[in-house]
Amino acid sequence: MAEIVLEARGLTRVYHRGSEEIRALAGVSLSINRGEFVSFMGPSGSGKTTLVNLLGCLDNPTDGDLVLAGRSIFDGCKMLGERELTRVRREVFGYIFQNFYLIPTLTVRENVALPLAFYRKPGADAEVERILNMLGMGHRMEHLPGQISGGEMQRVAIARALVNRPEILLADEPTGNLDSKRSKEIGEILQDLNRSAGLTIVMVSHNPELARLGGRIVEMRDGQAYEV
Amino acid sequence: MISKNQIAFKNLFRKKARTLLTLVGIMLSSWVLVSLLGFNRGYENALNHDIENMGYQLMVMAKGCPYEAATMMLQGGTGLRYIEQSMADSIMKEPEVAKVTPILMQAFFDPNKGTSGGIAGYFGVDPATFPAMKPFFRFRQGGWFRDPSAAEAVMGYEAAELEQREVGDMILVPEKNVQLKVVGIMERTGSQDDGTIFVPLKTLQKISGIDKITTIGIKVNKDADTAELENKLYKLQDVQVVSFSQVKQTIMKLISTARVMVLSIAVIAIIIAMVGVINTILMSVLERMQEIGILKTMGAMPWDIFRLVWTETLILCACGGIAGIGLAVTFARATDVLVRRILPYAPSGGLVAIDARLALLTLAIIVTVGLLSGLYPAWKAGRVRPLESIRREG
Amino acid sequence: MENSIRMNIQRMTNLIFQSLLLFLSTAMPAFAAVGCDLNDPDRDVARLFPDSSGYRTFYASIDKRGGEPLLRKVEKRLGDKFHGIYETIDVPYTVYEVYSGKKKVGYIHGVNQKGQFGGIQVFVALDLEGQIKSFYIQKMTSQWANKLRDPKFGRQFMGLTLKDIEKYDPVTGKGPGRVADLKNPAPEAETDFRAALRALKKNLVLMDEFVFSAKGGNP
Repeated sequence: MAEIVLEARGLTRVYHRGSEEIRALAGVSLSINRGEFVSFMGPSGSGKTTLVNLLGCLDNPTDGDLVLAGRSIFDGCKMLGERELTRVRREVFGYIFQNFYLIPTLTVRENVALPLAFYRKPGADAEVERILNMLGMGHRMEHLPGQISGGEMQRVAIARALVNRPEILLADEPTGNLDSKRSKEIGEILQDLNRSAGLTIVMVSHNPELARLGGRIVEMRDGQAYEV
Repeated sequence: MISKNQIAFKNLFRKKARTLLTLVGIMLSSWVLVSLLGFNRGYENALNHDIENMGYQLMVMAKGCPYEAATMMLQGGTGLRYIEQSMADSIMKEPEVAKVTPILMQAFFDPNKGTSGGIAGYFGVDPATFPAMKPFFRFRQGGWFRDPSAAEAVMGYEAAELEQREVGDMILVPEKNVQLKVVGIMERTGSQDDGTIFVPLKTLQKISGIDKITTIGIKVNKDADTAELENKLYKLQDVQVVSFSQVKQTIMKLISTARVMVLSIAVIAIIIAMVGVINTILMSVLERMQEIGILKTMGAMPWDIFRLVWTETLILCACGGIAGIGLAVTFARATDVLVRRILPYAPSGGLVAIDARLALLTLAIIVTVGLLSGLYPAWKAGRVRPLESIRREG
Repeated sequence: MENSIRMNIQRMTNLIFQSLLLFLSTAMPAFAAVGCDLNDPDRDVARLFPDSSGYRTFYASIDKRGGEPLLRKVEKRLGDKFHGIYETIDVPYTVYEVYSGKKKVGYIHGVNQKGQFGGIQVFVALDLEGQIKSFYIQKMTSQWANKLRDPKFGRQFMGLTLKDIEKYDPVTGKGPGRVADLKNPAPEAETDFRAALRALKKNLVLMDEFVFSAKGGNP
């Protein structure tokens, strides 16, 4: 049976720029089931990034709540500090971004092992090589980021995001810096992870082809979410 | 796997030139600091060593006579004033006195040294009492003269080397053209004695035509009251009393101002180096804001980030400090030469004494100051919110 | 993982060493034995080579230039063994290369010699062919030293080369050629006169070994 892994309840986010008030999100409610691949699309300023940030516990909402596997995170107006947010994040999420953000002085293998230096989920040992092999980067393990291509870097970033066995993978414009061929490859990898490993994926993307891979698209307009 | 320390270490290689420059800054300041601390210790040790080597703790000499034989050499043999030899006997009667030895210092002009000639210095000493005052003298060849009026000489290591003399050779006293036979050549003592020629007292008196002496060396009884003895000696006519503890105090006072000034320079050097450290680490943190944000998404706690940046500071300071100390030890001799050129009086022997304890102390200071400097950048890094930093690019 | 750390450490070390090399100055040779230097090189070089503009100093010793075999060769050429505790294989010899502008014009070299009452320091100024331009006793301890240090005595040596003194025997004090013509102005100081000649011969032999015979005249 479909299990709800992530639920947004009336999430609101208001920014203050000087005296100006900006409503980036206006009470969004939706739920995501385990094993779903959801893509959020919309123009700039639509609130898609803001929503995904909240879903991924990268930010605190002004109002509303987030329920993660049955557990209420923000419970009313509770503002979580960095430490608490970090604790939630590392248990549940893996993140990939448009700019890869690999550490240039560490090898591919070390980059992927990096999260383990800070937090090791029980049973997450020996994942590094397995994941790299799975993503087709087994032959590049001792290379530095400067020695591999953009597409390869994003694979490494994905491997890094997976090393602590996250329940949900958050992808913010993962193909934004790649050409169409590599974008397709990354898209296929994500699809594969979703289908065969059952990984829940929440993605933000401008690329309609990529978004269609998931099967569920949510369009954002003026801080509101619309299922497509 | 990779540990947090390895991450910190590798981060320093990102901007190699910048890391290297910061390292050089720390290295130089720790070099200065450890050399200065070593000098502080070394100078006092060397001074003590010189004074101990004199064999006697007090000297009585005619008023107006300069302290060192070397200074006498520079000023020439004229202008020396004399005291009666009988004074030595009366001083011996004092209860605080263990031994006395009468000494006559004379200098003769040798026109055949170089283009304008030079001074040759001689010490007339009593073979019955002088050698006993200096029991640590070792001989390279031969030994002391026994006969108080023999035409013999004992040469210091360097004096013999300059004249290419061995035991059995003759030397010539310039001006007077008296020949003496070399009966002993000493090993190096590291003191002024290395350049001295010792002659029996009566012999030198005969050569110079004087029956007086210039100095009385006094060895004080172990638990005697030196101050009391000094007071008694002050009362003697026409003489001045030179106490080596006084000499040491005067010299130490002379250089203490220099020491304070130089230590201030060291402190300033450290402050400058640390400002460099703060700048380097801060800049590297600001350049890595996004990355730090990403680390936080991976599960790094604020304390982890703080520790990471602080560890980088620690590595920089430790490596720079160790390198600086290493250089200081290597070039200790060169620093020695430099210092001798600057200071008015420099005792013989190693001036810059750096031992393990001093090295560790310097390293501890550098690392501590470095860690304090690193607090702000590390704290700033720890406070980074992933969202703000990742979004920085726009 | 360990490999990349080792690589990095090596990289760091290389960087540091390269920059240190810039700071390292040439070390002064630390010899055990005592050498023979001019008391005031700036003044003395100018005096012995009036049209010189500068000089360069280098050091040579028998043990570094050829060891025991060289010592025996030098002793054979000198005609006498090395004596005592001061005439040893590791004695550093100071050679001054004298320049006029960029052109080398000659050499100055001194040796220590045991005299009757003290050390004798004998210096020669040579041109590029090894001919004596000046003979200078920097130091001598003797009642009659002034006679041997008189410029008149020194002038007797001008124009002499190693060839003229090669057959002189320092042990007996006899030899053919121009050396036999040399007059001793101080007969009372025969020992020192002979010592000065031995020193001169040793000086020229060493200069030949260190400078003139070595690689076509360049040390």
